[in-house]
Amino acid sequence: MTVEESDLVLVKRVQRGDKSAFDLLVRKYQHKVVKLVLRYVRNPAEAEDIAQEAFIKAYRALPQFRGDSAFYTWMYRIAINTAKNSLASRDRSPIKYDLDLNDPEESHGVQTKLQDPDTPEGMALTEEIRQVVNSAIDALPEELKTAIVLRELDGLSYEEIAAAMECPVGTVRSRIFRAREAIDKRLREVFEGGLGRTEEMV
Amino acid sequence: MTQERDSQLSAMFDGELPGAECELLARRLTRDEALRAQWSRFSMIGAALRAERGVALHDRVAQRVQASVAKEATYGDGADTGATSSQPVPAAPDSFKTASNARWARLMRPVAGASIAAGVAALSILWMRTDPGPDPMLASTVAETPASESIVLTPDAAPSMLASSAPPVSRISSNGEPDVYVTPAPSSSPGIAPPARLANYVVAHSEYSGPLSRRMALLGLVAADSENVTPEQAGSVQPTDNATAGAADAP
Repeated sequence: MTVEESDLVLVKRVQRGDKSAFDLLVRKYQHKVVKLVLRYVRNPAEAEDIAQEAFIKAYRALPQFRGDSAFYTWMYRIAINTAKNSLASRDRSPIKYDLDLNDPEESHGVQTKLQDPDTPEGMALTEEIRQVVNSAIDALPEELKTAIVLRELDGLSYEEIAAAMECPVGTVRSRIFRAREAIDKRLREVFEGGLGRTEEMV
Repeated sequence: MTQERDSQLSAMFDGELPGAECELLARRLTRDEALRAQWSRFSMIGAALRAERGVALHDRVAQRVQASVAKEATYGDGADTGATSSQPVPAAPDSFKTASNARWARLMRPVAGASIAAGVAALSILWMRTDPGPDPMLASTVAETPASESIVLTPDAAPSMLASSAPPVSRISSNGEPDVYVTPAPSSSPGIAPPARLANYVVAHSEYSGPLSRRMALLGLVAADSENVTPEQAGSVQPTDNATAGAADAP
C-alpha cells in the first residue's frame, strides 16, 4: 500500500461519515500545509489561519474527491489557492489608520502581530520539541538513524530504503518504528512535563 | 501486542501498511485517543526532522480544524461514527454528469447506427418474406427437415408462420419483382448449372433490372432449374418447391 492508498482509506471513512478520520489527515499534513502556505505569507500565525481555512474547504469538498490524485496533492492545491485568495483579498482590504499607536494596548497588539509570529509558549514548545527530536536522533543507533532520515528527510519508500541499506523491507519497517518509538518516548516526557514548564515560564 | 500495534501505526503513517490492516487500524484510530496522539507525534517528529522553519510543532491547526469540522455536516450515513447525517451527500457536479452523458452518447452512437441498420435489414427480410402460409404439404415436409438443412429462408425459418392459415397471396409484387427471397437448398447432387438459354436471358436483361431483382432472378433460375421452369416462371418460383426439393435431397 502507498501513502496515497493509505490516505484514501481515511478519506473514504470521512466520506462515510467518520469525521475523526479527517482529523487524522489534518494531524498528518498540518505542518506540511503550514510550511507550504509560508511561501506565500510570511507571518506563521497568518499561515496557520490560512491552513485552517484550507482544511475546512477540503472537508467541505471531500464528497467530490474521487481519488484521481493523491489526497495531499489535492490538499496542497486547495491550500495554495486559499493562500493566493487571502493575499488578493488582503491587497484589496483598506488599511486601518485609526489605530492609536500612542495607546500602549493597541500599539502592543500591532507590535505583536507584526513581530511575533507565534505565542511565546508556542515558540518555546516548538524549540523544545525540535531540540528533543534532534538529540534523540543523535542518540539512535546508526541503522535506525539512517532509516528514519531516509524516510522523513528524503521521502524514500520502505522498498527504496531496503535497497539502499541492503536489508529486507520488514527490517526497514522495524527500524523506522524503533527510531520513532525512541524519539516518541522522549517527546512524551516533554508533553508530560515540558509543557507545564513552558507555561510556568510564560 | 501494543508494540505490534504501534509498529502498524508507524507503517500506516508511511503508507506502508497492507490494505486490510490499514482499514482495521483506521477504525481503531477513530476510537483510541492515545493512538491518535501518537499519530500526531509521528507527524511532529517528521516536521522537527525536516527543520521546517516557522512551523510551530503543535496541534493547534488540527484542534481548530476539528472544532470547525464538528459543526459541519456529516457525510454518508454516519455509520462509521454512529452519527446521523444531517445533510445529504452533495451530488456530483452537473458538469461532471453532463460530460459523462456526452461521453456515453458518443460511445453509443456507432452502436445505435448499427442497431438501426440491423433493424432496417430485418424489416426488409421480413417484408420480402411475407408468406401467405404454405400448404399443409409444405408444412409437413419442412417439419421433417432437419434444421441444419433448412437453408431456405422462407417459411421454415419461422415455424410459427407455417402454422398460420392465411390465404395465399401473389408472390409477385406490383413492379414484377419476386417478393420472396429464396436461398436454394443444399443438395447432395452435383452442382446445378442453369440452362444456357435462361442464363443468356438473364444476362441480356440484367442491365434493365436492379441488383436485387437481378439476384432474385438468378436465384429463382437456379432454384427452378431442377424443374426446367421458364425465365418468366423463375421469378415466381414457389418456395414450397425448393423446400420440398431440399427436403427430398436431405439424407
